[in-house]
Amino acid sequence: MSAPAHASPAGEHALEESKFQIFVQIAMILAVITGVEIIMVYMPFAHAFLFWTLSILSAVKFLFVIFIFMHLRWDRPLCTVIFFIGLILGGGTMWALLQLFGAQASVPLSAG
Amino acid sequence: MSSNAAAGTIDHHFDPTTSTGVPNKKLLMWLFLASDCMFFGCLISTHLIYRLHPPPGTPAAKDVFSIELTSFSTFILLMSSLMMALAVNAIQKSNLKSLRASLLMTIFFGCIFLGCQVYEFNNFVLEKHLTITNSILGTTFFTLTGTHGTHVAVGVLWLLLMYVRSFQPREMDKHPWWFIRNVFHVVVAIGTILLGMNVVIECTRSLQAHGFASGLAAFGQAYFLRLVALAVGAGVLMRLARPGYAVAFDEKNAIDVEMMGLYWHFVDIVWIVIFTAVYLLEYI
Repeated sequence: MSAPAHASPAGEHALEESKFQIFVQIAMILAVITGVEIIMVYMPFAHAFLFWTLSILSAVKFLFVIFIFMHLRWDRPLCTVIFFIGLILGGGTMWALLQLFGAQASVPLSAG
Repeated sequence: MSSNAAAGTIDHHFDPTTSTGVPNKKLLMWLFLASDCMFFGCLISTHLIYRLHPPPGTPAAKDVFSIELTSFSTFILLMSSLMMALAVNAIQKSNLKSLRASLLMTIFFGCIFLGCQVYEFNNFVLEKHLTITNSILGTTFFTLTGTHGTHVAVGVLWLLLMYVRSFQPREMDKHPWWFIRNVFHVVVAIGTILLGMNVVIECTRSLQAHGFASGLAAFGQAYFLRLVALAVGAGVLMRLARPGYAVAFDEKNAIDVEMMGLYWHFVDIVWIVIFTAVYLLEYI
């Protein structure tokens, strides 16, 4: 998702000018997605559908913020690589812990 | 402030003086944020594990949480991210006035978020009887959201220091008292912010307890001195915001503001995950 990072000074200046509009549009999209998320939890949809829809919407918000607000889209790919190493390690740890403690033999004896 | 003609001449996404092409400060911040992902990943997974396998007697989170308040604070944090992005955009164009306005708005939204969290914690402990020690839900919830709140508080302090830093004089020899002036600026700003948050929370409590008209009157009588102090603090801050000399803060400092912005946006994306994983999924 990274754009060419080393643009000409004129192109760089035009990019800085257009960023204001991009940021405002992204903020509006994020606000709308948050509103949709809140409305969805009150809708009588299937549990699995709600779970996956909320997770996907959350991921979309996450990606918008890191690539646009945090400038990953315009920065060197190295920044994206570094952040995603941490993100994958953190996410992988979460997944591993949830799997470990979700296994029948690991469920706490006092759990309901 | 450098002239607008000079704005846009620095490439903010490429630094030819480093072997990676990334400014070292930015590289450091990305490494820190990557490590913080793992930190928050562990806190969130601990909370989720105990939510999936709750011990007997654990209160229902749905009965404790207030989705309206949390939704409001989520919206506020998203808007603070917008303001932070605009602040970075402003300093990259050497627009100091816009930078300061955006920073102040970010600080304001950050304080509202923290105020909502203080109100939420207060409500959970005093009315819902959920404390950090009386249930595993309380332990994991307060540890996770408290750690995030601490990150927000650190971010607000950083924003405040950057705002005051933008008043450093260009010719420091002619202004020997600039450092003391800036320390005073920080102290007054922190005092005014804390006083303002206290006043808003007490006003909310008074309105809830006595209704609108009598609540407002009771609040005005009980907190008159604090309101006066708040007005004085705001007046001093407005005066300090007009330094009357050229300042040493322009496009060359954009990397410092951008680093701070990365931290602030990270706090926002952590909340995006917490909002879904901790709050919204309880309601389905």
